[in-house]
Amino acid sequence: MKDLWIERGERDLCRHLTFSVQSGELVRIAGENGAGKSSLMKSILGWLHFAEGTLEFNGEDVTQHRDMLLQNQLYLGHTPGIKNVFTALENLKLYCPDAAEDDLEQALVQVQLGAFADTPAAQLSAGQKRRIALARLWLTDKALWFLDEPFTALDVKGVEALEKRMSEHLSVGGAIVITTHQPLLNLSPKVIELAA
Amino acid sequence: MNYRSYFKAEWLSLLRRKQDTLNALLFFVMVITLFPLGVDPSADFLAPAAGGIIWCATALSVLMAVEGMYKEDYNDGSLEQWLVSGLSVTLLVFLKVLAQWLIVVVPLMIVLPILAQMLFLPMSVLGVVMLSILLGTPALFFIGSIGAALTVSLRRGAVLMLLLILPLYIPVIVFATGAIRAAQLEMAYSGQLAILAAISLVALALSPVMAAISIRASVN
Repeated sequence: MKDLWIERGERDLCRHLTFSVQSGELVRIAGENGAGKSSLMKSILGWLHFAEGTLEFNGEDVTQHRDMLLQNQLYLGHTPGIKNVFTALENLKLYCPDAAEDDLEQALVQVQLGAFADTPAAQLSAGQKRRIALARLWLTDKALWFLDEPFTALDVKGVEALEKRMSEHLSVGGAIVITTHQPLLNLSPKVIELAA
Repeated sequence: MNYRSYFKAEWLSLLRRKQDTLNALLFFVMVITLFPLGVDPSADFLAPAAGGIIWCATALSVLMAVEGMYKEDYNDGSLEQWLVSGLSVTLLVFLKVLAQWLIVVVPLMIVLPILAQMLFLPMSVLGVVMLSILLGTPALFFIGSIGAALTVSLRRGAVLMLLLILPLYIPVIVFATGAIRAAQLEMAYSGQLAILAAISLVALALSPVMAAISIRASVN
């Protein structure tokens, strides 16, 4: 189902880095602050350029045209992309326009925001906003997830719920690329180390 | 995210942020009200100058509306989500500009007949003024969206953006006021309007692409 394969050429950030992500696999990009974890993710997604190297997705070269990759992935970055003027539910609806109203509310319940569905995001905390973005994970059918520091600002319960959802996703054949400094409690990732 | 849900959301967020929208309109009204007070309130002066006054006010209020159009999207990470959405950023830019244009220009058209009366603009010319605004403002918005996209990552990008954008506004203002002047002299004005439409069409074709490239460069 999924076979991502990366070769990265000479570059200050990382040299000759090669790795693959298989279906059902959790890959953790590790490294110190500033080692280029987020940059690696951004270059996979195509908004930083490779100096060299190729990127393959399902056996096809997508180095030049990322459309195929982009249509099959879900990325959550440092800033969650949540609009202050919208309520939690409206924010979610923007990203998941095809989901039914009940499913949207259910997803918010999963991230313990059930009571805040109609609260404007401006009145929510950083952690709560992040959880709105994370609620997309309960609604998506995308196979490949890129999560850049998803645990930031989350409380213990939130981390637990997210890990549970991640292992569910892996068990149905999805794949996840994650960067985090926190130890994963119940999941055993394949680690890719970036030197600073 | 798809194009429809994006446009709906963008529209809704513009409606929610009434203040920003009203600001541009209020600015437009204020410039036009203050002008006669400051210079000369007589019909002899105002009637010939009306076209120019209206267009300068329009250009400035458009600039105000466009200047920060990507700022919030940049700060809250929405632009990142644009890039990874698998949708065409060019088309998203187009939809955003379209929403912005509608929300600024429609109210402007509604108050224009009243303001035109204040400036002693003959009713026969009002139609040409409105037409010139309809044909010319898309160019202002599209060109402005490039500047806004280029400077979105800068903390004080507003001045730089003005420097980049204002020179490109001049042709639009020249041809728009030219058309109005011609109409006032009862000469043919369709040529100037055609050029306005042409500028807008070129801006429509080119600027979403350029703004999309700028956004890609700004979000890093």
